[in-house]
Amino acid sequence: MDLSSSLQRLSAHRPQPPRKAQETLDSGLPLLDSGKYARMGDEGWEAVEKLALAALDVGKIDVADRCLRALADKFPGSPRVECLTGMRMEATESPETCLKYYDDLLESDPANAAAWRRKAAVYRRMGKLDRAVEELSAMLDTFYADVEGWLELADIYSSCHQYTHALQSLSHALLLAPQNPFYFLQFAETAYLAADIPLATKMFLTAIDMTDDDDADVPLRDTIPTGITLRAWYGVKLCTHKFITDPRAASASASDTPGPSAATLSQLDDLSRERLRTAYLNLKNESPPVADTEFMSVVATIMQ
Amino acid sequence: MSNSNVSLYLDPQIRDWVLFPITLVMILVGVFRHYVVLLLQSPPKKVPRAAIREQRALVRSQILRATSAESPIPPTYYKSISQHLSQAFSNGTYLKDGPPKGDSEKSTPPNPLTDPAAMDGMMSGMKTQMVMMVPQMVIMGWINFFFQGFVLIKLPFPLTLGFKSMLQRGVATPDMDVRWVSSLSWYFLNFFGLNGLYRLILGGDNSADSSRDMSTPFAAAAMAGPQPGQPQDYNKLFKAERDNLEFAEGLYSWVAKDVEDRVLRKYGR
Repeated sequence: MDLSSSLQRLSAHRPQPPRKAQETLDSGLPLLDSGKYARMGDEGWEAVEKLALAALDVGKIDVADRCLRALADKFPGSPRVECLTGMRMEATESPETCLKYYDDLLESDPANAAAWRRKAAVYRRMGKLDRAVEELSAMLDTFYADVEGWLELADIYSSCHQYTHALQSLSHALLLAPQNPFYFLQFAETAYLAADIPLATKMFLTAIDMTDDDDADVPLRDTIPTGITLRAWYGVKLCTHKFITDPRAASASASDTPGPSAATLSQLDDLSRERLRTAYLNLKNESPPVADTEFMSVVATIMQ
Repeated sequence: MSNSNVSLYLDPQIRDWVLFPITLVMILVGVFRHYVVLLLQSPPKKVPRAAIREQRALVRSQILRATSAESPIPPTYYKSISQHLSQAFSNGTYLKDGPPKGDSEKSTPPNPLTDPAAMDGMMSGMKTQMVMMVPQMVIMGWINFFFQGFVLIKLPFPLTLGFKSMLQRGVATPDMDVRWVSSLSWYFLNFFGLNGLYRLILGGDNSADSSRDMSTPFAAAAMAGPQPGQPQDYNKLFKAERDNLEFAEGLYSWVAKDVEDRVLRKYGR
C-alpha cells in the first residue's frame, strides 16, 4: 500500500512554509546589537520576541537570553514574556523543571492559555501523549477559540492513528475558521486515512471548490492546478481510484456520507486525471504514463 | 443694530493675566488628571478559570450556529457537537459553581453592592469621578471669585441672539453684542472643547477630558468594572441558547452536500 503511506507522509507535512529561523536571526541580530528596538515602539519589541524564538529554534541560547533580558526589563510580569522564559528553559532544563515552572505560572494566573499550551507541548515531547491530550482538551474546553490548539490536538491524535478523534478536533478547527482551505484539505486527508473515502472525496472537492481561481479570464478547464488545488485533485484521484478498485469503499463510511453515483464517479475520475495530467505536463514537459498505478506514482513526485 | 458701532476696548492685561491663565490652567489640569487616573487604575483582576469557561461557553454555540446554514462540517459531526452542547447547557456543566442543585438554586442573583468584585469596579469609577470633580470645582470657584463679570474675548464672527446665555454667563447686560465672551462662559467653552487638544497631546484614549463623564456621572462607574452592575444569570442564558441550537440544527446544511455536481459543472462536464 505505497499510496496510503505516501499520503500519510503528505498529511504529516505541514501546509505552512517551514520556519525560516536562520533568516530571522540574521536580519534581527543587527537590530538587537544596535539597541534601536527600544525606539521603534511595539513593532520593535515584537521583533525582539520573534528574534528570541528564532534564536531558540537555531539553538543560539545566548542571543535568546539577551532578548529575554531586554523584554523582561521592559515588560515585568507580562504573561507573554513569562511564557518565552519557559520556552528558553525548555531548551536547556529538564522537562520536569519546565512543567513545574508552567504549573507555577498557571497557579498564579489560571487564565494564561499560552502557558497551558506549552505545558501540553512539554508533555508531548516527553512522550506522555495521554497527559498532553488531557491538558490540551482541558485547555480547549476553556479557551475554545484556539484554532492552533485544535490542530495540535488533531496532530497528536493522527500521530497515534486515532483518526476518528483527529477528525473531531479538525471539525472544531473548521468551525472556527471555515474560510481556510488548508483545514479542509487536512480534514480530507485525515478522513482518507480513517478509511472514510466518501467523506474524504467530498472534502477534497470542497477544498478544490474554494481554491481554484474561477475569477480568471480563461475558462477553468484551461487553468493549471497548483499548490493546494493540485494536492486536492491528487486526493480526489486517490479516492476515485479506491472506489473503482474496491467497491465496498463507497458504503464503508463511518460518518454515513453517501458515495458518489457511478456516473459521477467516472466523470470525477476523468476530470481529476485530466487535471493532474495538465499539471504534470506543465511541470515536466512530458506526458505521464497511462496505466493507472504508474500514473499515480509519477504524479506523486510533483507533489513534493 | 444701532449699537453695533459702539466699540468696547479690552485692556490687553485682561488677555495676558486672565484669558491665557484660565486656558493654560485648564489644559494643565486635564493633563494632570490623565496621569492621576493612570496611577489610580488598578490592574485588571485575575478571573478564575471556571468563570472564563462559563463566560465563553456561549461563544462555542454561537460559533457553531454562525455557519449552520452553510456548515463546513459533515452532518454526523455537527449533530454530535450540537447535541453535546445542548446536553451540557441543560445539565449546567459549564456553570462556574457546578450544576444547580434542585429548587434551592432558584435564589435571586447576588446584590452587586455585597459582591466585592462588583464593588471594586464601582470604587474605581468613583475614584475617577473624584479626580475629575475636585479640580473642576476649584477652577470654577477660582474664576468666580477673582474674575466674576469679566469680559475676556471677542469672537471674530457674528452670532445670533440665542447664544447670549451661552457666551455671556455671569454678565447681565441686555445690550452687549453677543460676540463678547464672559469669563465663566470661557471656562465652559474650554471645559467642553479641549478634548481635541488632549487627543492631540495625549493620544486617543486619554482620560483627560472631563466633559465626557460629566454628562453621565454614573455611566463611567458602571462601565469601569469588567462586570456590569447586574451579574449575568448564565443558567438562564444557557437554557435560552438551547432553543437557538435547536433552531440552527433545523437550518443546517452541509456545504459539501452536492459539491461533486458543483465542481463538475464548473469544469464543464
